[in-house]
Amino acid sequence: MSLSVRPILLALLRNRTGAVLVAAQVAIALAVLTNAAYIIVQRIERIHRPTGIDEQNIFVIESAGFTGRFRQTASVREDLTYLRGLSGVIAATATNSIPLSEGGNNDTLVTRPDAPRTGYINDMEIDEHGLDALGAHLVAGRNFRADEIQPALTKADISRFVPTIIVSRALGEHLFPHESPLGRQVWDASGHPATIVGVVDPIMGNFPGSEHPDWVYFLPRMPQEFIVVRYLVRTQPGERAALMRVVEAHLAASNPDRVINFVRPLSYFKNLSYLDDSSMEMYLLTVTMLVVAVTSLGIFALATFNVSIRTKQIGTRRALGARRRDIVHYFLIENGLITGAGVVSGCALALAAGYWLSTHYALPRLELYYLVGGVLALCGLGQLAAWQPARRAAAVPPAVATRTV
Amino acid sequence: MLPYYLRLAMRSFGRNPGITALMVLAIALGIAVCVMTLTVYHAMSGNPIWWKNDRLYAVTMDNWDPQHPLYPGRDLPPPEMTYKDTQFLLTSSIPLRKVVMYPTEGVVSGVGRESAAQVATRVTTADFFAMFEVPFLYGNGWSAGADRPPEPVIVLSRRENDKLFGGANSVGRALRWNDHEFRVIGVLNDWWPRPRYYDLNGGSFQLPDDAYIPYGWGVELELLNRTENDCWRPEKLDNFRDYLASDCVWQQMWVELPDAASRERFQSFMDGYWAEQRKAGRFERPKNNHLTNVAHWLRDNQVVDKDNRVLVGLAFAFLALCLINTVGLLLARFLSGAAVTGIRRALGASRGQIFLQLLVEVAALAVLGASLGLGLAALGLTAVHHVYVAAHLGQRGGYQELMHFDAVGVVWALALALVVTLAAGAYPAWRIGRLSPAVYLKSQ
Repeated sequence: MSLSVRPILLALLRNRTGAVLVAAQVAIALAVLTNAAYIIVQRIERIHRPTGIDEQNIFVIESAGFTGRFRQTASVREDLTYLRGLSGVIAATATNSIPLSEGGNNDTLVTRPDAPRTGYINDMEIDEHGLDALGAHLVAGRNFRADEIQPALTKADISRFVPTIIVSRALGEHLFPHESPLGRQVWDASGHPATIVGVVDPIMGNFPGSEHPDWVYFLPRMPQEFIVVRYLVRTQPGERAALMRVVEAHLAASNPDRVINFVRPLSYFKNLSYLDDSSMEMYLLTVTMLVVAVTSLGIFALATFNVSIRTKQIGTRRALGARRRDIVHYFLIENGLITGAGVVSGCALALAAGYWLSTHYALPRLELYYLVGGVLALCGLGQLAAWQPARRAAAVPPAVATRTV
Repeated sequence: MLPYYLRLAMRSFGRNPGITALMVLAIALGIAVCVMTLTVYHAMSGNPIWWKNDRLYAVTMDNWDPQHPLYPGRDLPPPEMTYKDTQFLLTSSIPLRKVVMYPTEGVVSGVGRESAAQVATRVTTADFFAMFEVPFLYGNGWSAGADRPPEPVIVLSRRENDKLFGGANSVGRALRWNDHEFRVIGVLNDWWPRPRYYDLNGGSFQLPDDAYIPYGWGVELELLNRTENDCWRPEKLDNFRDYLASDCVWQQMWVELPDAASRERFQSFMDGYWAEQRKAGRFERPKNNHLTNVAHWLRDNQVVDKDNRVLVGLAFAFLALCLINTVGLLLARFLSGAAVTGIRRALGASRGQIFLQLLVEVAALAVLGASLGLGLAALGLTAVHHVYVAAHLGQRGGYQELMHFDAVGVVWALALALVVTLAAGAYPAWRIGRLSPAVYLKSQ
């Protein structure tokens, strides 16, 4: 390279303002880019955590009895018989709550009858078809048997428990660290015991936003009689939409003593639970793209301006023997120096912003490789934005030097 | 002078349409992102009943598990109360108004050919409407006497009245609520406090309920809370009576205390009850009885989530970026026009006049940028609206109207654009004004 950096630097220092402004833009862009990318990746990972549930092929029905004639047990039996008889339905279960919906039950579960309570754990009522209706995988033990399913809780026996439960692997490990939970006894808040007969993994319960969304256990019981009943129906791939229409039409008319509040795909509830995450992701993505666009345009505009006011100077250099390549290099190196100064101060800014986010908003501290990626991206972007003006500069004919303006 | 400066500015724009467009776009984008973010933030952080901030209080008492606070790390009592505690506090005559309430499930039927459908219903004491200043379209609420024993009267929202009765004055008409005969006593006018401060469960921007029935029906029909029924004490819960006597929290209580004196009296009334109950073995946690005004209630319940504050920060960083960009471009533009400026100086224009002339150019840019920015923000908010509506399709409430673009927002955006762009443009204008004209009068 025939050009040394020194004269370029000296020239820049003599005319600082424009360069400083571009460097400042690069610095802000780096801070925004790295932190936004970091947050976006975290949100995407959060949304795509494994749920162990066949989300794309399940729909949810909510049925509410409202007259004195309504008999929930009979109604549930009738509805389930109908649902299971439909072709295209893999499995259906009655349940008290909707998976991934941020609504459901939490109860106490401890490993000794006299143990102090240790917070609340998510539970769901399902029947022997429940795991199948979720698409959940049993990794140890057995499923519930049909004769094991307990009658629904009524207002007269709210604190009744069940003899057996199935737990998630994560909950099993929490309750019995380093041991198999199979066959072990656990106790509810009122001191009733139950035996763990199966382990499911992976599985997410009703509360994706909670600290331990995978701590969940299943109760072999018909859904409580004083709350609305939900059905989870799992269909063959591609048949969900059609079945939903059929089912809604049939159930709405099948029993005048209840109403069907809704028939909706399970993904609807998941999307609602993650609405804040997905909108944050979308917003950050948009603003980040705008930041990159505005910064590139800024770099491009400054380079163009620099070329236009130096036409005569460039012509002179060309006349004195500088090759086109040298001119291009000059502007690219100049841009590199400006962007370089920008990313150096930008690193400090990005780390400061990352620190602020981690202390005020409990986000994990910015991973450094995001910063490296951001630096490389912005340097590349700077060179790219300066490329066209540099080429234009190189096209200045040496004859310009001899003309007076 | 001003029209002349404006003409000069227009001519200058015409000379460099590319750079002008770039600057307008940069200002517009910065403003659009800021306005969008602030509109959403403003909607989320608003206090919809600010004029009653020193009168209206949520009542909470910490009856929770001595071993485990409900919110680890936050020293707050549960947002709901037990039935028995609210019943005692209701006996106090200190508050001007007092409301105990909860949302429940209800199915309305028996109206013409309308098929039965679920209606979000609130079981509440009579003061609800006066205390939260709920507007009525037809009729009115019930009197306190109708709460217990409960009279079969019901108040409908305007939406529900439109649906059931086609918007007609339905006062006096009969309908069946959970298969019991009720008579419509009032219809609300449009009313949607955002956030829905008096009940933040299930989302702060839910619509208000569509039906309201007297409080006594809760016990009479054994109605549970639709969203929150939290229990911690291992106690016998074999029927609804047990539930009413339990330490489960599910009742929401608000009081209106017109002055500081009544507030103190009610607080000590609560504390006295707390001390008595504590002797009897309840309230094992440290004393944590609160009267919380709406502003603090929204803060305690984290209505403005952290994401939104991050986004406001991001929006301003982006605005700064856009403005720096604009300053750089302005400087370049003014410098390339320095020869003309030099001639004007040599012909007798003062530094002040040059500064003013360039500032007029900046102001023109700001106005253009702001107008475009407003357009973009409106587009952006429409997009946000569609995202939320699509997600909530069929769901009650949500963000639909949260995102509307109000007049205040427009004024804000214009002011913001003008002030920041002028401030940003002042520097290049000042620098050019200071240049010695001689330098630029020489040939290059």
